[in-house]
Amino acid sequence: MASLPKRIIKETERLISDPVPGITAEPHEDNLRYFNVTVEGPAGSPYENGIFQLELYLPDDYPMEAPKVRFLTKIYHPNIDRLGRICLDVLKTNWSPALQIRTVLLSVQALLASPNPNDPLANDVAEEWIQNEAGAKATAREWTQKYAKKVEN
Amino acid sequence: MASDEEYSEAESDDSLYNYESRNTSVDLICPKNPNLTSDDSEFDIDEVDSSDYDEEDDIDNSLLATPVSPSTKKALSEGSVPNLKYECLTTKEIYEKMLKRINHLQPVFSIPPDDVLVLMQHYDWNEERLLEAWTEKMDELLQQIGLKSAEVNGSSDVRGIKHRNDFMCIICCEEKNTDTFSLECGHEYCLDCYRHYIQDKLHEGNIITCMDCSLVLKNVDIDQIMGHASSTKLMNSSIKSFVQKHHRNYKWCPYADCKHIIHLKDTSSLAEYGRLHYSPFVKCSEGHRFCFSCGFEIHAPADCNITSAWVKKAKKESENLNWVLSHTKECPKCSVSIEKNGGCNHMVCSNCKYQFCWICEGDWAPHGKSFYECTIYKNDDTKSKGAQEDPGKQLKKYTFYYRLFNEHEVSAKLDWKLGQTVGHKVKALQDRMGVSWIEGLFLIESIKTLNEGRTALKWSFAVAFYSDASHNLTKIFLDNQMLLAKAVEDLSELLQIKEPETIMKRKPEFYNKSGYVENRRTALMECGRDLLCKGICKPHDG
Ligand SMILES: [Zn+2]
Ligand SMILES: [Zn+2]
Ligand SMILES: [Zn+2]
Ligand SMILES: [Zn+2]
Ligand SMILES: [Zn+2]
Ligand SMILES: [Zn+2]
Repeated sequence: MASLPKRIIKETERLISDPVPGITAEPHEDNLRYFNVTVEGPAGSPYENGIFQLELYLPDDYPMEAPKVRFLTKIYHPNIDRLGRICLDVLKTNWSPALQIRTVLLSVQALLASPNPNDPLANDVAEEWIQNEAGAKATAREWTQKYAKKVEN
Repeated sequence: MASDEEYSEAESDDSLYNYESRNTSVDLICPKNPNLTSDDSEFDIDEVDSSDYDEEDDIDNSLLATPVSPSTKKALSEGSVPNLKYECLTTKEIYEKMLKRINHLQPVFSIPPDDVLVLMQHYDWNEERLLEAWTEKMDELLQQIGLKSAEVNGSSDVRGIKHRNDFMCIICCEEKNTDTFSLECGHEYCLDCYRHYIQDKLHEGNIITCMDCSLVLKNVDIDQIMGHASSTKLMNSSIKSFVQKHHRNYKWCPYADCKHIIHLKDTSSLAEYGRLHYSPFVKCSEGHRFCFSCGFEIHAPADCNITSAWVKKAKKESENLNWVLSHTKECPKCSVSIEKNGGCNHMVCSNCKYQFCWICEGDWAPHGKSFYECTIYKNDDTKSKGAQEDPGKQLKKYTFYYRLFNEHEVSAKLDWKLGQTVGHKVKALQDRMGVSWIEGLFLIESIKTLNEGRTALKWSFAVAFYSDASHNLTKIFLDNQMLLAKAVEDLSELLQIKEPETIMKRKPEFYNKSGYVENRRTALMECGRDLLCKGICKPHDG
C-alpha cells in the first residue's frame, strides 16, 4: 500500500486528539483511509438519544475528491436513502480541498438537525415530511429508538 | 408489380445524362407508383398535403411563427433534408466566435477581456441580462461573481506566484520550499496542489474558483499555474459549456470522434417541422447527417418521438436481443458457417452455392423477382383483439422488427466500409481505363445513395412497429418498405463489383439503380410521414 499522505495523517491525529463533540471517527486498523464513524443525534431533533454508525472512506484523490460517507444505521430522513447514501452539497458539487473530514461530519450532524425535504434523496420520506411533518418526525423518532439506541455501559 | 423493372428501363436514358438534375427536382424523380395510387386513393399524399397547406396559408398564417411554405415543403421532401440555414463549425472557429463576442463587449465594461469571459460564462452568454445587471450594480456584480475581493485588505500584489521557503500548505500538509499561488484573498497553496486542483476541474466547463472562497481564477491565472499546455483543454471546456448553454442553436455532431458543431441561427421553424413530423436534418462537414431537434443520427421516416421511444425500448430489451447481433450464420442448406462481410443481404454459400437471404434465411429467388416478402411481419392472428394485445405477442412483434432494424444497421456499417474502398475503385478506373475523376464520381454518388436508402430502411422498421397493423395505409407503407428493400439490395450488390472494366460497362445500371433507390426512399418517407400525421403510427410502451 502506498504511503499515507501527510494531510490524512494530520487530520487523523487531530480527530483523535481534539475530537468534535458528539462525533467519533477512528481509522480502520487494516486501512487507514477507512473510518468507523459515530454521530450522536442532535438534541431537540427526532434523532436525539440515537447513536448513528457511519462509514467514511477517503478516495485516492483525496482531498481533491470528496470523502465518501454512508450511514450504516437505518435512519428515517428525507436526504438519506435506504442504502444510507447522503444527499449533501459538500459531498458533491460544493466540495473543496480546503474542507476536511471534520467539517464534513459537522455538516452531516447539521443535516440531522435540519432535514431538507425540498432536496430529497428518499422521495417517499420527503413526501411524508412535507405532507405530515408531525407523523414523519414520529416515525423518525421510532426508528431512532429501534435502530440507533445507545448501548449503556 | 413487374412495373419496377420497366420503370428503370424507361428512365435509363434520361438518367445517363441528367443525373444531377434528378436529384434536385422533386417533380422529375417522384413519379408515383401507379400501383399504389390506384390501389388506395388515400395514398394520394401530394393532393392531401397541398390542400392542407392552402388552408393554412389562408387561415392560420398569423398563428405560425414561420409557416413552412409550399416551396420549403418541396425542399423538405427532397431526401428530407430541410431548408434550414446552418453552418458547420470546428472547435477553433467556435472559440473565435466566442472571443469576438467578448471583444465586442469589452469597451462597454472597460475591464480586461479575461474578466468579460468570466462574466459571460456566469450569465450563460446572455449579453442582455449581463448588461442590465452591469448598469445596475457594477461593483457589487464583480464581487458577487468573484472577480473582486470583498475584503478591504485584498490587495493586488498578493495575487500571483511566489517562491517560499518552509511553506506549510494546508491542502497537502507538507512543509517545503516551494512555489505558491494566491489570489487577492490570500488563500495561498503550493503549486502542486493548485495544479492538481485545476487539472480535475478543467474538463467540467465551469468557472474555477479559489479553493477556499468564491474568488475566480481567470484564464491568465490558470495558464500561469499550469503552463501553456492547459490552454487547449481550457478552451475545450469553455466551448463545451458554451455549446451546452446554447443547445437550442448549437449541437455537437453525434458521431463518434467527430468534433464538429452545427450552428443554426434561426430555430423558429423547428417546432413547425416537428408538428408536421418532419425532422430537421443537418450535415456536418464530415458528411455525418443528424437530426437537429433530438441530436440523434438521421432517422427519417421515423420522427423524433418514434425514434426516442424505439431507442428506449431497445435499451430496455437489450438482454433479450443479444442473439440478434451475430455476424455469422449457418447456411440453411449445408450448415457451413458463413460470415457476412458486405452490406448486401444476398448470400451465396461458399460450400453448396445455395443462394439465400441473410435476413429471413429463405431462398433468394423470390426476393429477387417481386416483393421482398421477408420484411412483412406475419401476425398469426390477423383478427387482433384491438388495443388489448397480449404482451408476449408484442414482444415477438418487436423482436421481429428489431432484428430487421439491426440487420440493416449492420449492413449500413458494412456499406460504409465498402464506401471507403470506393476511392480506390475510382482510382483504378482512372489508372486502368483512363476515366476522368469527374466521370468516376458516379460510384461515390451511388454509395451515398445506398447509405441514405439503407438508413431510411432501417428506421422504417421502427415506424412499422409503432403503426396500427390493421390500417390500410400501414399495408401500403409495408409495400413501399419492401420496394425500397429490394432497391437497396440491388444497388448494394452492384457495388460489390470490383473489376474496373465491369464497373464501366455497367455504369448505366449504377445510375438506374441509384435513381430508383432515391425514388423509393422518397416515396417511403412520404408514406411514413402520412402515417405519423394521421396518428396511425404513434409511440407506445408496448
Ligand atoms: Zn500543497
Ligand atoms: Zn480564496
Ligand atoms: Zn460529424
Ligand atoms: Zn430527431
Ligand atoms: Zn451451403
Ligand atoms: Zn428475406
